[in-house]
Amino acid sequence: MRYVTALTLGSRMISPVSDNQPLLRVENLCIAIQNAGQLQPVVRDLSFEVQASQTLGIVGESGSGKSLTVLAIMGLLSGSPVRVTSGKVWFDGKDLLQLSDAERRSIMGDGMSMIFQEPMTSLNPVYKIGDQIMEGIRHHQHCSAKEARTRALQLLEKVKIPDASTRIDHYPHQLSGGQRQRVMIAMALACDPLLLIADEPTTALDVTVQKEVLDLIAEIQQDTGTAIILISHDLGVIAQTCNFVAVMYCGEIVESSTTEKLFQRLGHPYTRGLIESIPPLHSDVEWLNAIPGQVPALNALPVGCSYQPRCSHAQAQCRQNPPVALLDDEHIVRCHFAQQLQGRAS
Amino acid sequence: MKLLTFVKEALEGRKLATAGAIWLLIIVVAGIAAPLIAPFDPLEIDPIARLSEPGTPYLFGTDHFGRDTFSRAVYGARMALIIGIGSVMVALLCGGLVGMLSGYFTGLGHVLMRMVDVLMAFPALLLALVLMTVLERSVFNTILVIGIVYATTTARILFGMMLKLKNEVFIDAARCSGAGHLSLLFRHILPNLLSPILVQATFIFAFAQLQAAALDFLGLGLPPEVPSWGNMLAEERIYITRAPWLLIFPGVLIILSVFSMNLLGDALRDRIDPRFKDDIAGV
Repeated sequence: MRYVTALTLGSRMISPVSDNQPLLRVENLCIAIQNAGQLQPVVRDLSFEVQASQTLGIVGESGSGKSLTVLAIMGLLSGSPVRVTSGKVWFDGKDLLQLSDAERRSIMGDGMSMIFQEPMTSLNPVYKIGDQIMEGIRHHQHCSAKEARTRALQLLEKVKIPDASTRIDHYPHQLSGGQRQRVMIAMALACDPLLLIADEPTTALDVTVQKEVLDLIAEIQQDTGTAIILISHDLGVIAQTCNFVAVMYCGEIVESSTTEKLFQRLGHPYTRGLIESIPPLHSDVEWLNAIPGQVPALNALPVGCSYQPRCSHAQAQCRQNPPVALLDDEHIVRCHFAQQLQGRAS
Repeated sequence: MKLLTFVKEALEGRKLATAGAIWLLIIVVAGIAAPLIAPFDPLEIDPIARLSEPGTPYLFGTDHFGRDTFSRAVYGARMALIIGIGSVMVALLCGGLVGMLSGYFTGLGHVLMRMVDVLMAFPALLLALVLMTVLERSVFNTILVIGIVYATTTARILFGMMLKLKNEVFIDAARCSGAGHLSLLFRHILPNLLSPILVQATFIFAFAQLQAAALDFLGLGLPPEVPSWGNMLAEERIYITRAPWLLIFPGVLIILSVFSMNLLGDALRDRIDPRFKDDIAGV
């Protein structure tokens, strides 16, 4: 039941119409991949906001561009064939894409940090976990090794590593996957960041551990008030943890809303497809309504609505770019038939 | 301490490699304690006892100047150590730096690695010969030349490992906590390269012995007055029929040392990557 409290608490803290400057504001972000001398767009004209202390869930199939978006925000795309072609990423009043290397490094880990998908490879195998947590602390807070160690110990206790005082001197290979992910969370939280990005933090873990880690993230969010962007392809995970949801398809946000409103009435056929493909727990079904087909290749994006070839409601009109429909003051849907379809959703 | 346990683990159950390690230990001790072990000054001439057979007081006999071969062999061990360690250091420092920077900064890598390719196009001995003819014969220059020759292979190996390592998630994670290029290179990546560097070092050490002996033999290595195994071969080769022990002793020393170093290197490499293990290696 903790999720429910976190959720209501969260939405009370954020008034969506506040005049406050958002903590993170992504404006018209376009990302393209360099392929055989040609730039192919991967993320198109993406805009969203994260308020302080808010939890935003980004959901979508593999290849929808959700990971690339957060990598771009974190500035981790350099050295790869993927680059940001236009757009702005405002964080705490600064445009992240215009910052110099040094300015950017002072924000990384301190103002914002990230948890990765694979806990098995995201810790350096040659260092003790305590040293890895202390590194960020010492880098940003210029404190003594002893103070940093005390802080690291506190963090390990906070992420509920049993027997933290001995674990602090263990190497990553001595820990299980769930424990490593906890260590990663401790590392990410080391300098009390304003924004924590979690890129599918539970995908590589089994279900029970997944629950524990999500509980932990929700708890930390409540304690520290850190804003969180949680990426997942699992709407269930998002529903449990986030108070805002953005659904991505083919590099675009097709629907975004508060979690409550989204599940009350699903605006976009794609979101409905995602939900219908989750096997129900309490009833027996013969056949799951999976979304037919696959995410289209980058070089063969359909004209008009990018979901139209797989959509059961598709009509001739869908070959034109869909308008952005406002179902509610916070519920945005990118579909021609948003108004008609939403009535039938529930 | 970790290094010691690592070596110990590598040698476990491998008799030949252990024997090699013990032999190398003897060489190291002989090299360090040469003045205590050698019964004579390696440069002292005893003209009356020229080309005397092994026995007393000259354990390995004497050369055509009447110098004690045993003492020269012991001091040769010291020279072998100096050349080996020196070349390894030059090769690892130059090659390691070039390889790591090339792998990390892609643009720089294109330029540096093409230069490495050019150097690698020459056979090792030929490259060493060319460089030595330009430079003066001295201990330092020999070390430098051998070091440069093996820096190329080191650069290649580290370049490849770097390409793989820099894309590891933990490097991204380190970047996320604000680590700069220097910190990424030397704090986060370098420690992950230490074991392959250690293996590479043992092979460079072995090849440096051969290379140095070859240069000495061709008269382009160490100055002739320096007692080294290669110089001993070079100077006494005309007496091979009259006093074969003059060539047998230094020859056997070179063979045993290089062979031991290779065995040790093999064992260390198998410890790091068991996929390379072949059936003979377990003997």
